[in-house]
Amino acid sequence: MIVPLEHVLVLALAVFLLGAGCALLRRNLIMILLGVEIMLNASGIALVGASLAWRDLHGQAFVLFIMGVAAAEVAVGLALVVYAHRRTGRLEADHFNKLRE
Amino acid sequence: MLQTAAILALILPLLGFVFHVAAGGFVYRRTVETVACAAILASLIAACLALAAGWGGASSVTLFSWFRAGDFAASFDLLLDPLSLIMAVLVGFISLLVHCYSVPFMRGDPGYVRYYGYLNLFVFFMLAVALADNLVFLFLGWEGMGLCSYALIGHWFHSKERISAARKAFLVTRTGDVAFLIGVALLFAQGVDPSVSGIQAEAGSLPGWTAVLLGLLLLWAAAGKSAQFPLLIWLPDAMAGPTPVSALIHAATMVASGVYLLARLFPVLALSPAVLLCIGAVGTLTALWGAASALAQRDIKRVLAWSTLSQVGFMMLAIGAGDPAASMFHLIVHAFFKSLLFLAAGCLIQALDEEHDIFAMGAKLRHRLPHVFWPFFLGVLALAAVPPFAGFWSKGRVLSAVLAQPGAGYAALALAASAAALLTSLYSFRLLLLAFFGRPARTDAPSPESVPLSTAWVLWPLALLCIGAGALDLPGHLGASNWLTGFLASAPGVPPGPDTVSETLITLLDTGLALAGLLLALLAYGPAERFFPRVPEGARFWNLMARGFGLEEASTRFIARPYRSVATLLWLRMEEGVLDRTTSGAAALLSRASSGVRLWTTGRLSTYLLMLLAGLTLILLVAAGIWS
Repeated sequence: MIVPLEHVLVLALAVFLLGAGCALLRRNLIMILLGVEIMLNASGIALVGASLAWRDLHGQAFVLFIMGVAAAEVAVGLALVVYAHRRTGRLEADHFNKLRE
Repeated sequence: MLQTAAILALILPLLGFVFHVAAGGFVYRRTVETVACAAILASLIAACLALAAGWGGASSVTLFSWFRAGDFAASFDLLLDPLSLIMAVLVGFISLLVHCYSVPFMRGDPGYVRYYGYLNLFVFFMLAVALADNLVFLFLGWEGMGLCSYALIGHWFHSKERISAARKAFLVTRTGDVAFLIGVALLFAQGVDPSVSGIQAEAGSLPGWTAVLLGLLLLWAAAGKSAQFPLLIWLPDAMAGPTPVSALIHAATMVASGVYLLARLFPVLALSPAVLLCIGAVGTLTALWGAASALAQRDIKRVLAWSTLSQVGFMMLAIGAGDPAASMFHLIVHAFFKSLLFLAAGCLIQALDEEHDIFAMGAKLRHRLPHVFWPFFLGVLALAAVPPFAGFWSKGRVLSAVLAQPGAGYAALALAASAAALLTSLYSFRLLLLAFFGRPARTDAPSPESVPLSTAWVLWPLALLCIGAGALDLPGHLGASNWLTGFLASAPGVPPGPDTVSETLITLLDTGLALAGLLLALLAYGPAERFFPRVPEGARFWNLMARGFGLEEASTRFIARPYRSVATLLWLRMEEGVLDRTTSGAAALLSRASSGVRLWTTGRLSTYLLMLLAGLTLILLVAAGIWS
């Protein structure tokens, strides 16, 4: 492997923090979902890097699974977002606070 | 034949009750009344048939087994001997007349289904007490009567004092019932089969202290139901119920059951002379107490109520003198004249538009209501024990039984009982003279309406029995043969009457007492009253008598109030102070603790995500720290 593992992990950490920041700081439901997806992909980068570094295919198989799960999760999440928008006309996450009571 | 008839006599009133509960609301009033009376009539006929079929013998019949626990078994079984069958016939007869009387008496009452239902159930439970062999079955009837008396005394449940009278009757009689239950347990613990026949067979094997304890427990139980000292406070208040109910409770069922229980379990009592003397003393004390209190009452029903106490005291005295047959004789005669007096009093009260005060009655009642006056007159003569009315013979029998016992204790009891008999005669003639002869002291009472014969007819059979029932047990020196005593003695458990002492003396003494009472009453309340100082109605001692010598206040003060203050103390200090404050303190602590945590639930998704992330980071850091 040409790129050292440390670089890959730094990249993965940067992408993960970007995604976490996006999920935490944005108020839009779609952007939060987007942030979660980015975090998932950051973990995918780390796994692929580790797989290559140790010459073990388990890591890559894991990434394939994560992609499948992420696709399903996005499908459900987006459906929820669409439904919430239809019901209330809003997409701000803090608007949906009825559970507090 | 005998067994079928006895079972029918017991079951029919219960069937009547079931009918009222199931269908009473859907049928005509007439049907309810007819079913109620018919059930009792059929029960009476069956009881008479059973008495005829089982004449003079004893047999038993088991309906079915009730429960079984280890060695202890209780079953619904009946012991049919002369004592129980005569009692069943008496109960059926008095109840039938009371039912018939209720039909016109309760004509305007909307709660008639409940009324007749409980009335039938009452008769069933009393018959169960009369016929039961197993003491647990007997206890069922005993308790059931307490329940029914509660429901019937409180029949008009819209008035607070009636409800409290009903509650009082229930609680005070319950106080006695506990002793019965302990007695049954004690019998079982001593290895005696807890049934009437078992006691008759095995009572002799009981050790001495058990016999004494058992006798005292039974006395206490009987005192509760029969309203004997010191558990007598419920009976005068039980007047709050409808008058037919008073007649039923006072004559044949409730108060008679205590005496009947003692007569039935007499073999246990006979083991210990001390217990017998104790029973006699309680009876005499109550007889005096009730007679003196009856003398000062103004309410006609309360006069009769105190008189019941006093007469039941005489029955207890006869038991105490070792002569249950005399007790049963007086019980039967008393049932006749006391139900007669109560039913007649009910007629008077209705005719006078719910006026109870005998000072508001007077000679006009005698002219207006001859159909009530004459039976009442005969009933009073029987109560006052004027010869040759029934009460004379039965009271004479009781007194002679007491005199036949040796010892100074019984001599004192006989003396006190004679005084009670004198007072009895005095108060009964006072009642008669004030209610039917004098000019009323109060003139604001309404003028009497006439009583229809449909109501008053039931008084006549009873009045005839007041004249003739003495023939059941005429004493030997008149050529008769104490029939009832002999008949009851044909079964085990009831001893033959003691050899009576000089009966001529008793007859003279009795006659003298009754006539002395009449004379005193005539002097004080009769036509010559203006020549004599008036009786100090309203004086201090008189008031004390009218309140039953303050036993009620005493029990309120020394039992009810301390109990209440202890209960209040426990309630305020123990329950509210300790238990409630502990639990509510714990709850407050928890909620204060949780109010800090509650701030975290903001409802903002971003906060949750932040916390999730922070938490995960923390967990992972800790995990990494442990790992490396």
